[in-house]
Amino acid sequence: MPPIVEIQNYTWRYLHADVPALQDINLTIEEGSFVGVIGPNGSGKTTLAYSLNGLIPGQYHGIKEGTVKIAGTEVESYRPGELPQMVGVVFSDPEAQFTAMTVEDELVFGMENLGLSIPEIRERLEWVTDLTQLKPLLEKPPYEISGGQKQRVALAAVLAMMPRVMVLDEPTSMLDPVSRKRVFDVLARLKRESHNTIIVIEHNLENLVPLADRMILLHNSRMALSDGTEAFFRQVDTLTEAGVYPPGGIAFFHALMKHGAFAGELPLTLDAAVARLEGLMSHE
Amino acid sequence: MNKTLLGYVPDRSPIYAIHPFVKLFFLLVVSLFPLFIAAPEWNFGLIIFVLLLMWYSRINMGIMRIYVPVAISMASIIFLAYVILGGYHPEYAQIGQLLAIRVYWERIRDAIVVYFRILPMIVMMVFFLNTSRERDVIVAMRTLRIPFVITYVFAMALRSAGMVIEDFGIVRQAEQARGFDTHGKSLPYRLRKYVMYMIPLFALSLRRAEEFSNALIARGFAFTGPASKIKRADFILTHYHFRRLDALLTAIIGLAFVALLVLRYGFGWFTLSRSVFLPWLETLLRHR
Amino acid sequence: MNDTQPAAYISVQHMSYRYPDGTQALRDIDLKIDRGEFIALIGQNGSGKTTLSKCLNGLYKPSRGAVIVDGLDTRSTSIVQMVRRVGYVFQNPDHQLFSANVWDEIAYGPRNIQLPADEVRARVEEAAAIVGLTSDDYEEHPFFLTKGMRQRVAIASILALQPHAIIVDEPTTGQDIPQSLEIMNFLQRLHDEQGHIIIIVTHDMPIVARYAKRVVAMGQGQVLADGPTAEVFANTPALAQTFVEPPQITQLAQRAAHLGFDPRTLSVDELVQQYLALHDR
Repeated sequence: MPPIVEIQNYTWRYLHADVPALQDINLTIEEGSFVGVIGPNGSGKTTLAYSLNGLIPGQYHGIKEGTVKIAGTEVESYRPGELPQMVGVVFSDPEAQFTAMTVEDELVFGMENLGLSIPEIRERLEWVTDLTQLKPLLEKPPYEISGGQKQRVALAAVLAMMPRVMVLDEPTSMLDPVSRKRVFDVLARLKRESHNTIIVIEHNLENLVPLADRMILLHNSRMALSDGTEAFFRQVDTLTEAGVYPPGGIAFFHALMKHGAFAGELPLTLDAAVARLEGLMSHE
Repeated sequence: MNKTLLGYVPDRSPIYAIHPFVKLFFLLVVSLFPLFIAAPEWNFGLIIFVLLLMWYSRINMGIMRIYVPVAISMASIIFLAYVILGGYHPEYAQIGQLLAIRVYWERIRDAIVVYFRILPMIVMMVFFLNTSRERDVIVAMRTLRIPFVITYVFAMALRSAGMVIEDFGIVRQAEQARGFDTHGKSLPYRLRKYVMYMIPLFALSLRRAEEFSNALIARGFAFTGPASKIKRADFILTHYHFRRLDALLTAIIGLAFVALLVLRYGFGWFTLSRSVFLPWLETLLRHR
Repeated sequence: MNDTQPAAYISVQHMSYRYPDGTQALRDIDLKIDRGEFIALIGQNGSGKTTLSKCLNGLYKPSRGAVIVDGLDTRSTSIVQMVRRVGYVFQNPDHQLFSANVWDEIAYGPRNIQLPADEVRARVEEAAAIVGLTSDDYEEHPFFLTKGMRQRVAIASILALQPHAIIVDEPTTGQDIPQSLEIMNFLQRLHDEQGHIIIIVTHDMPIVARYAKRVVAMGQGQVLADGPTAEVFANTPALAQTFVEPPQITQLAQRAAHLGFDPRTLSVDELVQQYLALHDR
């Protein structure tokens, strides 16, 4: 079984650009893992997302070097309409992704594109609305629902196509904290209940870190770091240089490490941070 | 009262039990009726009929108030246009003088005939827009087997219109926040400045267009190739069932149209010469 | 109550606002904002924070009550007068870029308020300098600039009107951390060096913790908490009603309060100092 995503020596330069958007990317992702991709704006994260589902080089002009393989096949070898079945993408703008006039139509659009039959559509609709808690909103038009709800619709619409890989490009950057949490709750549920490979590009680390098995740092179009989440966050200097600010709990324990006051495993959630702190304080 | 992009639709209405196709069919076919009816009293009757349908459908009749200024200004324009620029034949009867212009009965008659042909079409459009949610229009189009691409483009146009309207509101506020004030300024000034709205709206649309098309592709939509030729399930249609009532109504509308044609061309009904209202009006104006 | 107290620059008195379609957005708001304050307006979407911010500069006029800015009532003052006192920067720069080049864009405001040409020029150059734009940028078309640059042009356009108070809607949404810090540092300089009132409407709690001196938390159209930042973040019951959570470091401190930590902690450094102090005992 080849890994679900296999990128080798990949370089992409947009036409008319002076520098490549991505350089020498080597990345292997096993099916079923949850990967977080972070980095400053302009470091190539969106380019990477688009490279995975064929938007690059399909929709954008540029020069490609190296290979990007999904399930063992090069991205360019897939026929039009085939790759979106394998790799689903959720974009950051909730407005621009909503193309139909009701939530249900939006969810069904992708499934109809795949040529599914009505019973199949009905079944998947049931599953996806349950997972994302969208049942009460099915009949609503886009102008009656909030940005956060629209993002859940986008997530559900892509999920309904049952792609093996889900790529989310800054899905919560335009949302308020409550909506953000709800989107990540869906991702958490998805992680528990299904075998999708999930790749999330984010700036907001608080919600991402507890879920990610692995984290990747993109900086200046290159992969600066790639590691299991806990080990990833130990690389304080590399992270700071790239302008990455870990969540408060992790940052606190970093600082303690610097003072020599802590040498254990970094806590990835608030609960873990509280527990660690209690542990430290009780060793007096 | 629910606000849609197209109008204000009632929360509950007997019209919702009817398949959207029938509503669209009604609009398209019955809008043609006035073309074959010259006598204004018949067209007036048609207007009353549609207004009664609107009342029966629980549309808030207060919305007709919005259209009154439109109706009046349209009447004025048509009336003036015909009186000043209408045709001339020697047998035309002059009934008065408006400054330097001779007012002929026949021109007034023509203006009335035209006006009462246009009004029913407008009222029917208002009826349609205020009983159809956007989805109904799309369902009607798909039932007619209009190609999916066209239907979808229409749906996207509606969606985009919604977004543009929202943007427009924000752009207006942004302009005000920069001291842009049209209070007490002349109309040409206002019109000139309104062009400025276009710039940010275009910028926003251009940025969205890229994301929009990426989203379509990410949902597996293909414009060309084998993927574009698959048979679509048209899931949206599962919510609407074409019942006997719908078939019956469609048949009635169709037969009414046929009957109209037969009466008009076979028996000369609805023509000017058969009108009752026009001779009465003529007598009133000519023999004051 | 003494008469020698200077009047607040912005005074909101029993203000309520109702949307044209009938929904009540704000209920009986009372608020005083003095010169030189740095305030964060927080709350969930739909809490009324954006509506309130638009009432402060006259974009929305109150249905009941009043908003008095520098002695002027927003209901009876022209928009031209208002924007010279309270500037509003919208979240998406694309909504507020009207011209084909940066110069005209920044000049748009001053021209609207009918300033003479040389005054306009002086103001544009000054505003551009403050945000870090150079004369090389004047000819650029705003559409093709990066998002950060567009935001700076938008801010310069408001600065050119020289308002005392500046309201910025979501300064950091969609930005990465270095960019967010850059824009916030810039707003802080405006506050510290030029004395402007800065009001940010935001969801970004770490930013609020770091920059805002005062926080007004809104929920269901009302002010639920109003005070110094640390105090508001420590007011758990009120915050719970706004559905807003304090930054993670503050939450950590609050949950570790029983261990001797200060629940009003706003930064990592503060907490570290406390830890070291506790361990030196």
